Amino acid sequence: MTERQSLGVVGLAHLVLFAVLSLALTSVTPPLPPEDPAPVDVVDIAEVPKIAEPPRPSKRAAPQKTVEATAPEPTPPTPKPEPAPTPDPTPVPKAEKPKPKVEPVEKPEPPKPEKQKPEKPKPEKAKPAPKLLDAEALSTLLDKSLPKAKVKPLDTSALAKSIEKSLPRTTRIDPRATATLIGAIRSQVAPCWNPPIGGADVKKMTVLLHLDINRDGSVVGRPGIVSQTGVTAGNADYARAFAETARRAVLRCAPLKLPAELYDQWKAVEINFDPSEMS
Amino acid sequence: MRTLPLLLALLIAAPAAAVIRVDINSGTAQPLPVAVPAFATASAVATEAGTTAALGQQVAGVIAADLASSGLFRPLDPAAFTTTVAPADVTAPQFAAWRTIAAQALITGNVTANPDGGITVGCYAYDVFSAEELARQGFVTTAANWRRAAHKCADLVYSRLTGETGYFDSRIVYVSETGPKTRRIKRLAVMDQDGAGHRFLTNGQTLVLTPRFAPNQQTLTYMSFANNRPRIWVYTIGSGRQEAVGDFPNMSFAPRFSPDGGTLVFSMSQNGTTDIYKLDIASRRLARLTNGPGINTAPSYSPDGSKIVFESDRSGGQQIYTMNADGSGQTRISFGEGRAGTPVWSPRGDLIAFTRLGGGKFRIGVIRPDGGGERLLTNAFQDEGPTWSPNGRVILFFRTAAGRGGKVDLHSVDLSGANERQIKTPLDASDPAWSPLLP
Repeated sequence: MTERQSLGVVGLAHLVLFAVLSLALTSVTPPLPPEDPAPVDVVDIAEVPKIAEPPRPSKRAAPQKTVEATAPEPTPPTPKPEPAPTPDPTPVPKAEKPKPKVEPVEKPEPPKPEKQKPEKPKPEKAKPAPKLLDAEALSTLLDKSLPKAKVKPLDTSALAKSIEKSLPRTTRIDPRATATLIGAIRSQVAPCWNPPIGGADVKKMTVLLHLDINRDGSVVGRPGIVSQTGVTAGNADYARAFAETARRAVLRCAPLKLPAELYDQWKAVEINFDPSEMS
Repeated sequence: MRTLPLLLALLIAAPAAAVIRVDINSGTAQPLPVAVPAFATASAVATEAGTTAALGQQVAGVIAADLASSGLFRPLDPAAFTTTVAPADVTAPQFAAWRTIAAQALITGNVTANPDGGITVGCYAYDVFSAEELARQGFVTTAANWRRAAHKCADLVYSRLTGETGYFDSRIVYVSETGPKTRRIKRLAVMDQDGAGHRFLTNGQTLVLTPRFAPNQQTLTYMSFANNRPRIWVYTIGSGRQEAVGDFPNMSFAPRFSPDGGTLVFSMSQNGTTDIYKLDIASRRLARLTNGPGINTAPSYSPDGSKIVFESDRSGGQQIYTMNADGSGQTRISFGEGRAGTPVWSPRGDLIAFTRLGGGKFRIGVIRPDGGGERLLTNAFQDEGPTWSPNGRVILFFRTAAGRGGKVDLHSVDLSGANERQIKTPLDASDPAWSPLLP
């Protein structure tokens, strides 16, 4: 082969390679499979469901009724065989059927909150029918729900009552209420405590007081000292002055304001005063 | 459905602790509000210092002022009191009236005239909220000395409520200055720690410096330039007698007594160096404690008399050293930037107060005898010459204001660095020394 011929062969091979690569790139990406349109729930804004309230515990044996009520009802299963083609697959109208029976159920069912509330949006629907978004209705819904949502976690009185009635009296339970009690006592007594700005010894002392409290929050007699740390033979005077500041703090801020229904938990309290973290 | 609450209870049951426990780690550090109503008297009898009723008012006023000056108490305004204290109330107060004005402690008492012309002051302290008596004591004294009874009552209250010993029944001696800076007239003066009962001890004709009390309260030692000879003198307060200490040919200065009052320690210059000497007062025996180099001065005993802290420039600049009372074991304890001088050992023995010189300022500081824990308490132009209160809690010093003709006056500060206040004197004042608690 001459040089010219070999050059021509090489150039042709380059062109072929170039062509193949260019075409190959276009054919490498596989075609996307055709997508089904995702079903979109169209919910009218006026029907925004309220924030779910945890159910109130009640003593009625309600669930049994639900079981009987839904058994003879074949209509709820009927929408199931036709899921996709149905133009209105919204769960809201579905729920309307079993709704009257589900009302008295107190079992916590967080996945289906709409079931409990579709009744309320229904009458309101009639009013804002011409408008899609009624800011007033929305704001009243929201305003009602927010304060309730705040109060709910602390209001354990109903739960506490029912549990207390069903359990022996000596059992101490409900650590959530205990934690808030501790915080309530601390927030009332701490501002009244003037620790002595005494010598270095005082910073290392602590004192544990025992209080008996009456129902109205007042302290019975004088708080007794359970124990005191950091006391040596040399700082007995400081120790006495320190213990007295703790007693004074409790007596100054009595009567304490604490929830009456939890009186059994706070009728006897121990308070530990520790100034080591104060500057 | 009884099982459901039971199940819930089992899930969230806490260990059955009978009593809940609250931890309080912070309070409000503020002066304790106290009420000091006028002291009662069964019947107003005239004494050489006024009627007992008038004395009752004044005693309460002095006690309230003492407690307020410590920075740890806040006496309530008498205008806010809802009741006065009758003689019967002194031993059985109506606590409800004091609770309504939020007083936490009540100091009350009575003044009675004695047949011999003196007075008895009864002092009672109560905790208002727990309605219990904290302390009581009676003080018998001449009518003219009523202030001392008031100070002793304030000391009783202070020590009962803080745990510290008191310091209100004590005196301060200092150098009263007047005149232009080039021709200063300096006189020794003594007064109660609250500024009352002020009187001059010398007439100002000779320059006097660094007066210090003896432990027995009755004598002072100081340095005077009388007859152009800088020497140490001892002054007896009662009689006014002044006596030169030793007949040394050289300049001697910076005298201090030992805690037992039997030894005087001071500096003397000789052959180009200044060294510390101690003189046994009874036997008049002189012993040399340091042997140069440089200037060794400002000696101060520890409260147990075993060690002496002093100032020396042997390292090139003034620094603070400690040594044993016999002169052995001389150790430098002040380091860091600047110089340090005028050390004074606290009556509690735990700290040494001194003047830190540096950065264009003189500042009062405290340091532990081992040299650690240095803390500066003041931050003005020129604060120097510290002296301790009898309970080792308050430091008195003198401050020179910046500028030409800057005033010089006495200030005190609490060991924590708080409650800095001025002690008022008739004229300019310097070189203060605080007496021990009067017996």
